[in-house]
Amino acid sequence: MSTNGHIEKKRLENPPAKFKLKIQRRDKEGAPIRWETFELTYRRNLNVISALMDVRKDPVTADGTKTTPPVWDMSCLEQVCGICTMVIDGRVRQSCSALIDDLLLASGGDTVTLQPMSKFPNVRDLKVDRSEMFDHLKRVNAWIELDGSYSLGPGPQVSNELAQDRYALSRCMTCGCCLEACPQYGDGNYIGPQAISQARLFNMHPVGKIDIDERLNGLLGDDGITNCGNAQNCVQVCPMSIPLTKSIYETNRDITVNALFGWLKK
Amino acid sequence: MAIKFSRTFLLRKLHQITGIVPLGAFFFVHMFTNSKAMNGEAAFEKAVQELHDTPFLLFIEIFGIFLPLLFHSIYGVIISSEARSNALGYSYARNWFYFFQRATGIFLFVFILFHILNLRFGLIPGLNLTPVAGNADLSFNIIAAEFQIPWVMVFYMLGIAATAWHLAYGIFLFVVDWGIVIGENAQKYTLYACIALAAALFGVGANAAVSFVRPCGLFPQALCEHKSESKPVSKPTAESKRF
Repeated sequence: MSTNGHIEKKRLENPPAKFKLKIQRRDKEGAPIRWETFELTYRRNLNVISALMDVRKDPVTADGTKTTPPVWDMSCLEQVCGICTMVIDGRVRQSCSALIDDLLLASGGDTVTLQPMSKFPNVRDLKVDRSEMFDHLKRVNAWIELDGSYSLGPGPQVSNELAQDRYALSRCMTCGCCLEACPQYGDGNYIGPQAISQARLFNMHPVGKIDIDERLNGLLGDDGITNCGNAQNCVQVCPMSIPLTKSIYETNRDITVNALFGWLKK
Repeated sequence: MAIKFSRTFLLRKLHQITGIVPLGAFFFVHMFTNSKAMNGEAAFEKAVQELHDTPFLLFIEIFGIFLPLLFHSIYGVIISSEARSNALGYSYARNWFYFFQRATGIFLFVFILFHILNLRFGLIPGLNLTPVAGNADLSFNIIAAEFQIPWVMVFYMLGIAATAWHLAYGIFLFVVDWGIVIGENAQKYTLYACIALAAALFGVGANAAVSFVRPCGLFPQALCEHKSESKPVSKPTAESKRF
């Protein structure tokens, strides 16, 4: 990723007049899935969300059948909230930052395929329920206990290096990309890189470190960190470039030193 | 607050450690012994006899090899059954290695079962029926006869390749999962070293297998202390197969 902010975007040299949006649909949780294809007029700078908005204005499929407008989640439209995450052409990412030009250039075809994330309960169409990620954050105590009856004064100083390392982890927007791409995540078998990395974020903090045992206990369950299969897809798909695998391996070291061989210190 | 371990955590750690010691260590010894076949029938049979004379042999066989192998393979199949490999959709090297580790594991489950029945016990119908165990003086000829059959040789080559990869990448997974190698660069070089180890282990194992059908294996025969005049490599005969 460019660090000076300037990214030269590739564009379609001879853009098509029309392109297709193929959407996986489901009326409600548990209902059967079906596919619908919509034909849209190409415009410059279209992203997946603006294409979906075009469908919503006139929800008629390519074969002329009138249908319901597709449902999806969106909020910030600048890849910081994470809620518009979906599987686009077989790859999980945010739909707000997925440009139609890029997608058509990558696939070489005229169709963009949209699916909801497969690892979360599918509420309707492209909308999923990601609440299990927030339950995982509660299980690993992903916060710092600071409440008290009197002022504790300023916190301890940390080195610039530690602050920067923690900042990288703090960028997590709970979007779910890492869990969707993880071959171990699903059916409650594995807590996943997102919660492990957030536990690491607070274990790195000088005050948060006090509760390290609670966080490690949250990661030592039957669905804990040990289920990591080291496929490292998480770090490849993370839109915020969070060093998720480093968080996992540093936590592995914490567990080996503090938990597995902790009895040697007693 | 006291740390509490879950059953899965302890089983996974046990699975990782049994793969390195004793199974990984055993594989190194196994390939070393096999390589003695380069020096001919007498040298190999002496090595087998020495193994038979190991003190506490039955104890080592049961607690050092058989039980760890049983646990590692059965729990490995359980781990593999939980995988949702998506290496086609997310085609990264490490994601493929994740798949290979499980694929080689399942293959080795079949191969090692075959290998033990075939040579240790001599129980595969249609193939060798003489157990190598207790018959050190026949061991070279039993194996040479088996390796004359093309599909058996190919099957063993695949088995050696799968074991070499599974062990070398397993060592990588071990140092990563126990928090020994953490950083991106450190992992990259460790991975290179493990890939080199896989290639070396396969080279040694394949050379040893070839030694049973060609003196000195893949190397020029002048390099081996092979006394081809006094004791030539016995061509497997019909009798040697029917022991």
